[in-house]
Amino acid sequence: MKSSLHIPGLIGNINLVIDPLSAFFILIISIMSVLGIVYSIGYIKPYLNKNKSIFSHYLFLIILIISMLLVTVVQNALAFLIVWELMSLSSFFLVIFESEKKEVLSAGINYLITMHVSVLFLIAGFIMLSSTSGSYDFASFEGHVTNIPFILLFIGFGIKAGFVPFHTWLPKAHPAAPSHVSGLMSGIMIKTGIYGILRTLSWIPNPSKDIAYFVLAISVISALFGVLYAIAQHDLKKLLAYHSIENIGIIGMGIGIGMLGLAYDNDLIAILGFSGGILHILNHAIFKQLLFFAAGAVYNKTHTRNIEKLGGLVKSMPATSALFLTGSVAITGLPPLNGFISEFLIYLGLLNGLSIKNSSILIVFVISIAALALVGTMAMLCFTKAYGVVFLGVPRGQKAALVKNDVTKIMLIPMAVLASLTFIIGLFPQYVVKLLMIPVSVFVNTETFIMMDPYITILRTVSLSGLGFIMLFGLIYGLRTLMLRNKRVYNHNTWGCGYHAINNRMQYTASSYADLFLSFFKPFFSVNYGDIFEYYLINPVLKFNKKVIECFYWIQSGNTQQYILYGLIFLIFAIIYTVGTK
Amino acid sequence: MLEFVLMIVLLFLFPFLFVGIINRTKAFWGGRQGASIFQPLYDFIKLFKKGEVISSTTSFIFNIAPSVTFTSIIFAGLLVPLINQKSFLSFEGDFILFAYILALGKFFSLISAMDTGSSFEGMGASREAGFSTLVEPAFFITIASIAALSGNYSFQSLFLIFNNTGELGILIILLSVLVIFMMILVEGCRVPVDDPNTHLELTMIHEVMVLDNSGPDLALINYGSAMKMVIFSALIANMLHPAVFLLIPIIIGTLESTVARFRFSRLFEFIFLMCSVSLVVLALTMIALYENPVGLIK
Repeated sequence: MKSSLHIPGLIGNINLVIDPLSAFFILIISIMSVLGIVYSIGYIKPYLNKNKSIFSHYLFLIILIISMLLVTVVQNALAFLIVWELMSLSSFFLVIFESEKKEVLSAGINYLITMHVSVLFLIAGFIMLSSTSGSYDFASFEGHVTNIPFILLFIGFGIKAGFVPFHTWLPKAHPAAPSHVSGLMSGIMIKTGIYGILRTLSWIPNPSKDIAYFVLAISVISALFGVLYAIAQHDLKKLLAYHSIENIGIIGMGIGIGMLGLAYDNDLIAILGFSGGILHILNHAIFKQLLFFAAGAVYNKTHTRNIEKLGGLVKSMPATSALFLTGSVAITGLPPLNGFISEFLIYLGLLNGLSIKNSSILIVFVISIAALALVGTMAMLCFTKAYGVVFLGVPRGQKAALVKNDVTKIMLIPMAVLASLTFIIGLFPQYVVKLLMIPVSVFVNTETFIMMDPYITILRTVSLSGLGFIMLFGLIYGLRTLMLRNKRVYNHNTWGCGYHAINNRMQYTASSYADLFLSFFKPFFSVNYGDIFEYYLINPVLKFNKKVIECFYWIQSGNTQQYILYGLIFLIFAIIYTVGTK
Repeated sequence: MLEFVLMIVLLFLFPFLFVGIINRTKAFWGGRQGASIFQPLYDFIKLFKKGEVISSTTSFIFNIAPSVTFTSIIFAGLLVPLINQKSFLSFEGDFILFAYILALGKFFSLISAMDTGSSFEGMGASREAGFSTLVEPAFFITIASIAALSGNYSFQSLFLIFNNTGELGILIILLSVLVIFMMILVEGCRVPVDDPNTHLELTMIHEVMVLDNSGPDLALINYGSAMKMVIFSALIANMLHPAVFLLIPIIIGTLESTVARFRFSRLFEFIFLMCSVSLVVLALTMIALYENPVGLIK
């Protein structure tokens, strides 16, 4: 399954290898990119005569897609860093598409800087690896990954993926970017971070328990904090961005469980964990892109992302609303859609982990099960809020009330394709999971795959119950409709407790909907005003950095002669050093 | 075969009796004669024959949501052990599907409430979503602890710990029963969490969500919430004794006649108590598994 191409270059041979793991990512990137570009044709239309450089936008879009594909196949650390950088830069230009807006530009610059911090960690990690292995080729890294380079690479890739506390760029960049770009970024670009982590793991034949617990812990925290902050958001795309953090956490949980399975020599747990995590990569790409596209459609029609100003769109935009509903049910992880399948596999991995007779495993896994359940119910709260406030009820503002018709077909078709994918994976998981064994084979010995057979049977039962559910629903709904035939069914105003002059301002708002649940966190920290990780972790570091750097202001005088002097001094030192060492 | 028929009767007819018994118990404590215990069935039939008034604000969501919720509850009923610890469908991890399919029903009932554009129903949805968020983790901790103890990862695990119960096993079972019983009170919207008989919209949780539903839809909603209570009771009944099926409605009825409902600000305490009990179950499981290296279960 490997094919390689040798390019002799300045930095030695660059191997381009497509192994099962790369193939899986290439599949996702290709499908999602095509759908994203089709969608962008409709989305970009209002910008066409606004003096925007559409040409350069699409140029960077193509560069982004190509660089993402290259990231998954390049097997040389230096070349990898180059394509990685290319990916960050091209996406930066995509984010600042509406660069005339101040907040877009500042979000873009925040993103650019964060990505370079990520590269810093990656460079450090790769240098440590290559200094022990003696080569920059990925194949030579196998067995050389100890805890410190792993943590460095994990942080580097984790910044891209958006693990808490490295997530602060995500809720800024996603709302700023145009929707097809947010869809691509959230759906596939942040997954390249996950790809990096998985690639690093593939060099570790037997991960140590410490790093496995580390990955699991950071993932659980990401999932919980992502969804908690999502509940407090009023900006539809920011809400979705926080959900990306949550889902990255769920993916990480799958990977962490897989690592623990390997660490404890229990292949079944490893297979279940990795397959759940890897399936969630695909699932999240599907439903997150669907949701971003639908949010983009809403923005396209209403020109606002503030959900407090929306409402009642189900009447004017029925197709978009149905598609957003599909995405919401899928992302909440409810059967019979695809989100449930990957979470179910992760649950099964956690449950089987209980068979390892070890008290720390017991407590960690039971708490993880509870955390995953909590994440699911919190996501339900968040998406009933988002869907209910954006699409249901009556319009809360002029902008929403003036919407007359749905978006064009060219925007709806990619969303419909994604929505049908959520159904296909959710209703026929047994076939998908069988295919999933191919990328999982990178981590787990293929001989033990026979242990998955009973779980394929279970998934077949899940598939049947999904189909059964739909049929039973049809039956009950049919019966109810039959009973209503020939009966008096009439429309009336919503019951207002005897009050008749109900208007749109009396509706429940998004803030009031979320308030009851969020009020419970008030004694600990405020969820409504900004990110605690940003305030207490990222900002102090930045302030400290600024202080240190301020000490060196005198170096930068703006005087050209002085800069030439610096160059000269450096050259003299370099000459002395080389002469001295010879 | 008889068992199969009994299971169907239990799942589909007993919910009416369940509510009937609760109401009769409340009547007894109130010194009233009370309605027949079949009254909920008559109410269901009457409602199902009626027409509907539908709010002009609503969309297709409001139309399908009661049916989706009801289907989800029936499906949950198929997964739960009803009689002799047997269920229609059982497999490893069935309780996960059980919880998630109930969540699907709840998802639709929440957005259906938001669909009416009423502030009261939005309030009910907010409360229902907020309070039920913390219920599921407690349920999962309890079942997962018991599963760890018995080495079986389905609902069947609830009964396997019976095979070899020490003192600790009995304690674990009793505390798990407590967690599930508290879950019935929260999910079934009974006192002290919610009062099904309250007449003030501002104090309602579940009732206020369905203010605008009428006719067959309301019938399905009422039937569904009764069925939900039977399903959770089935978990307790199969852990303890089948007679519990009759005991639980009597206990609920007595509770409703003797205890006042909690203030909203104290409801989180109630739900946290439930989470704490489930954590005690986890702690006891650890003691059972690791202080006694042979384990309670072979």
